[in-house]
Amino acid sequence: MIRIENLEFRYAAEAPLALCLVDAQIGDGQYVALIGPNGCGKTTLAKHLNGLLTPTSGDIWVDGMNTKDSSTLRDLRRAVGMVFQNPDNQIVGMTVEEDLAFGPGNLRLPAAEIGRRVEEALRAVGLAGYEKRPTHTLSGGEKRLVAIAGVLAMRPQYLVFDEPTSFLDPAGKRRILSVIRKLNESGIGIIHITHDMDEIVESDHVLVMTEGRISMAGSPGEVMSRVEEMKAMGLGPPQVTELMWRLRQSGQDVQETVLTIDEAVKTISSLILRKSGPGGEGAHSGV
Amino acid sequence: MFHLGQYIPRPSVVHGLDPRVKILATLMLSMTILQANTAKAVVLSVFLIGGAWLSRLSWRDVGAALRPLVFFFGFLFLLHLFVTDGRPLSPSFPMVTVEGLSRGLITTWQFMALVVCAALLTMTTTPSELISGIERLLRPLRAVRISSHDLAIMVSLALRFVPMLLLEFHRLREAQLSRGADFRGGAVMERLKKISSLAGVLVIQTFQRADELAQAMEGRGYERGPRTYLRELKMGYADYTVMVLMLVFIGALYTLAF
Repeated sequence: MIRIENLEFRYAAEAPLALCLVDAQIGDGQYVALIGPNGCGKTTLAKHLNGLLTPTSGDIWVDGMNTKDSSTLRDLRRAVGMVFQNPDNQIVGMTVEEDLAFGPGNLRLPAAEIGRRVEEALRAVGLAGYEKRPTHTLSGGEKRLVAIAGVLAMRPQYLVFDEPTSFLDPAGKRRILSVIRKLNESGIGIIHITHDMDEIVESDHVLVMTEGRISMAGSPGEVMSRVEEMKAMGLGPPQVTELMWRLRQSGQDVQETVLTIDEAVKTISSLILRKSGPGGEGAHSGV
Repeated sequence: MFHLGQYIPRPSVVHGLDPRVKILATLMLSMTILQANTAKAVVLSVFLIGGAWLSRLSWRDVGAALRPLVFFFGFLFLLHLFVTDGRPLSPSFPMVTVEGLSRGLITTWQFMALVVCAALLTMTTTPSELISGIERLLRPLRAVRISSHDLAIMVSLALRFVPMLLLEFHRLREAQLSRGADFRGGAVMERLKKISSLAGVLVIQTFQRADELAQAMEGRGYERGPRTYLRELKMGYADYTVMVLMLVFIGALYTLAF
């Protein structure tokens, strides 16, 4: 479990407060989405989770390790894997397998174990067979997956993703999101940083950040239903939420928890059916 | 971009050798080349051609390594031909001497042989194999507190980022071209100035990139000092045999008087 207690952080002594988090928790195997507008401190918080930055005051505990404690830093780095925004700046190997071997090599594992982990990590991200490919010839989406696999080879308990889908086409986005979901299903805790409301749907818990503070927390449904507040923060709700919100505004009886397209289709068709009566006119008008 | 001596995958004995053997062989050959007389030059030439044949490299592959340096070789030859004192080759051209001709030939051969020698190494060995070979050969340096692991990481990062920097440079250039910049015309100084404005941006970007890279490496548990590798180099039968044969060959060249 990751526990944040009275965290305060400034980049320099006189600088303004960059982060101010009273209390937050991320449970084992939980999928937490961290959403907020640009410059709200999401990445700064992420870098705190594996000790790349340490709090100016307050503490962060990861499975009982304090991120300030340099004697457990190695174990901390192994427990919390970080996937940065730009894969080009985190791939160190010239070939895929060499890059994946970097982390386990730092842990001084024997060659046979490194080989096992490379294979396992590649399979987990769906890139089996890419071992010998030179990293500079990969596509943007493949580079992202290699960056994820590189961290996965350390067998982390938690994975922090910093805007993992930026600059990708829709297919690439879906591929990355499905890999993240699969990793979560295999028991890895996920911290998914994003500014795209569409991407929080999969999560168990959502933290909304503004100006270095957590301004809202709850399930995806709860957060998304507060459409006006989200809009005020500059975060556009997903199309489904927006549509449901507008229906509610116009006096329709629509549940707040409708998040997916399937649910929306059901809700709207039942609305239409109720209006026109079974078999009545308009029952089959386009949804 | 760079094609000089780039790795060419072929199913050959030489490709399969331990990189340490190839590196040491290249060093020994290079030293012998620099001290060669005409007779040794002939033997070494035959040896290098044999090496290329064993590596399944064609004349064209080897030629590709030499081609960019053709003007350099020509210049070197002419320089020696004209400036060496000695007996004139023919009375009508007193500047061209017999000594000049032989000095020019042997010096030009030496440089060409060195290039071929280095190309044989890099064409049959991947950059990563080269790095791990150098890393293993330099491990004794820890006696003087130099970590071969750190050196290996530095070299491999440099190799990894060179293509990316080139790409970035082209991107920047295109971005400026599309906004009406002109890098072609003008005097040399003016062109240099324009290019240097690109270099400034590139340097800043590179530092930002390096900062992020350092954080990512730290996040993956990187520490200075010993680490382990996916493929630990291991000398096999063939490697030892080739090493011994090389030592015998080089030793023979040195001891036998031609």
